[in-house]
Amino acid sequence: MNNRVSRVSMFVTPTNPRFIDKAWTRGGDAYILDIEDSIAPAEKQRCRTLIRESIDKANKGGASIYVRINKPFVDADLPYAVWRGVDRIMLPKTETAEEMQHAHQIITALEKERGIPPGSIELYPMIETTLGAVNIHQILTAVDRKIWSMGGGGGYDMAVNLGIEMFADFDQYAYPIAYITLASMALDIESTGGVFIPNTSGRVDQSDQAILQAAALHRAGIHHSGALHPAFIEPLVKGLTPTTEEIEWAKAVIQKFDEISSVGESIGTLEGKIVDIYEYQKAKVTLDWALECAEKDCFKENALKRASS
Amino acid sequence: MITTPENKNKRSSINSNNPMPKYIRRSILALSIDDPILEKKSFDSWADAIILDFSKKSHCNWQQDILSRMPSAIAIAAKGDAEIFIRINNDFAISELEATVFPGIAGIILKGAHSAADIQRVSSALDSLELSRGILANSIEIDIEVNNAACTWNLLEIARSSARVGIFLLNEQELCANLGIQTQASLPFDPLEYIKSELITVATSIGGQAVGMSYPLSLATDSIDAETLRKGILRARDTGFKGAVCPHPDWINLCNSGFRPSEEEANYYVKVIEVFAEGIKRGMASVPIDGKMIDVPVDLRAKVYLEWAKRAKARDTEKYQAHQKP
Repeated sequence: MNNRVSRVSMFVTPTNPRFIDKAWTRGGDAYILDIEDSIAPAEKQRCRTLIRESIDKANKGGASIYVRINKPFVDADLPYAVWRGVDRIMLPKTETAEEMQHAHQIITALEKERGIPPGSIELYPMIETTLGAVNIHQILTAVDRKIWSMGGGGGYDMAVNLGIEMFADFDQYAYPIAYITLASMALDIESTGGVFIPNTSGRVDQSDQAILQAAALHRAGIHHSGALHPAFIEPLVKGLTPTTEEIEWAKAVIQKFDEISSVGESIGTLEGKIVDIYEYQKAKVTLDWALECAEKDCFKENALKRASS
Repeated sequence: MITTPENKNKRSSINSNNPMPKYIRRSILALSIDDPILEKKSFDSWADAIILDFSKKSHCNWQQDILSRMPSAIAIAAKGDAEIFIRINNDFAISELEATVFPGIAGIILKGAHSAADIQRVSSALDSLELSRGILANSIEIDIEVNNAACTWNLLEIARSSARVGIFLLNEQELCANLGIQTQASLPFDPLEYIKSELITVATSIGGQAVGMSYPLSLATDSIDAETLRKGILRARDTGFKGAVCPHPDWINLCNSGFRPSEEEANYYVKVIEVFAEGIKRGMASVPIDGKMIDVPVDLRAKVYLEWAKRAKARDTEKYQAHQKP
């Protein structure tokens, strides 16, 4: 399965059968089994014990599985979170390289103990404070393990840290979002995206907001996003997948560039638009991404058929 | 040992989950010690903080002149209970510090710093001055007035260069000039949006805070109509600024009421805390209010906001009491 395609990863609460039992039918690329903020303090321990069985419930539709643990309880949570079938561990409010190294050591030991291929579980530092934002380069280079980055750099926890009211009609996170994304790109680390889209209502269940979000991310070349509500899944999956027109255009650009290259030229035009090495490379990215999305969709479709039969 | 007067806003014990704001410095007014009505202007301003500027007279020993006048200027400027800061020019920092650092100041505003080394040099000088002048060790803050590209580029190193570093003040006029950006507020966008966000992010990351204003008011030099100013302050607050340097005394009252949670927000957050606590009792981790999700960070922010409102109110009470003294 292609774990890279994570157009939408949605939080689900393992303690709530209504959510966890139906998650596989929602069509998400990934589900985040949450032990953190969507779980009440009194339910944390029960939640931990439900993670292992929740993996096979949530991935029946072909989705990848991530687990979000608690910053204050890394040692207590990880033994309940690291299992075969888990693709990624999410570390909330990561602020230092040492925190990454600590989690990495525990995960490495658990992988060995549980017969999981070493280093196969990705680590996702969630940057939700200003200290995490300014330390991003050290955080992303702290461990020898595949890292996924959080391009968002905003959200509820950052708002607490900054002491700001959320849901303004302007970008409140211009620096952390750009800085984290830039650091990720410099290190060739993929990130779940953050592009400012006004949401003054503060609602998290509006599909029209998801359509706007997908369009903004797509324009920015960001393929991955997160969601708190199922209403976001379909718009994000659709909106972050290249359209037929985009695929056809990419193919035409590649063909045109090959033609001009074969006669020693470096710049040409197609329907009045410049075709050069930059447009050629962009077209290749579009086609690669389209192929990966198609593979993921096929995998999900087959998994869904098997689970439904 | 003589200590500085009680500093209402000295570094608090707020932890990383409840960091905001460290200081209640919503309105900062710059005044000259040469001003013949310094006492009246300070007292009548109701500013949370006053920056004292000074000029160097050419016909006499300027250091002796300032040394002789600064202690009384600090005392009279503080009568309305404002915190007192002295603005120091980085290029002449050491000689200026010797002439201006006395008991009664909360900190110095260092203007024109370029690197961490500048701050370390000033910090060392303050160590000596605190010792020789009977001021509590490490009590004088270094606050950074950001007015040049090098300072912006080295911001994180500067922020981490000394435990004395407290707040960052954006001097937008001078930074724009230094960057070659027009200083008339005529652009349809904020040319310093990214830098402002950087300033706020870096300042917050060390437990400090940033002072500044939203564009285009950030380039204003005079009185502004109240409604425009109110909106500008709200935007600045929701960008993360915790106060502004007021170019005109008219700004102070609105800054004092704007750089804090409003009554309406405080009432809403009381409701948030109550509803969330009820939800927790029922074993829930999140509850909706009007379609908005209320969970741990929202509950935490509510508590931070209420604490902020309480501290701002307490600060107003302290200033009020100072104004009642004969």
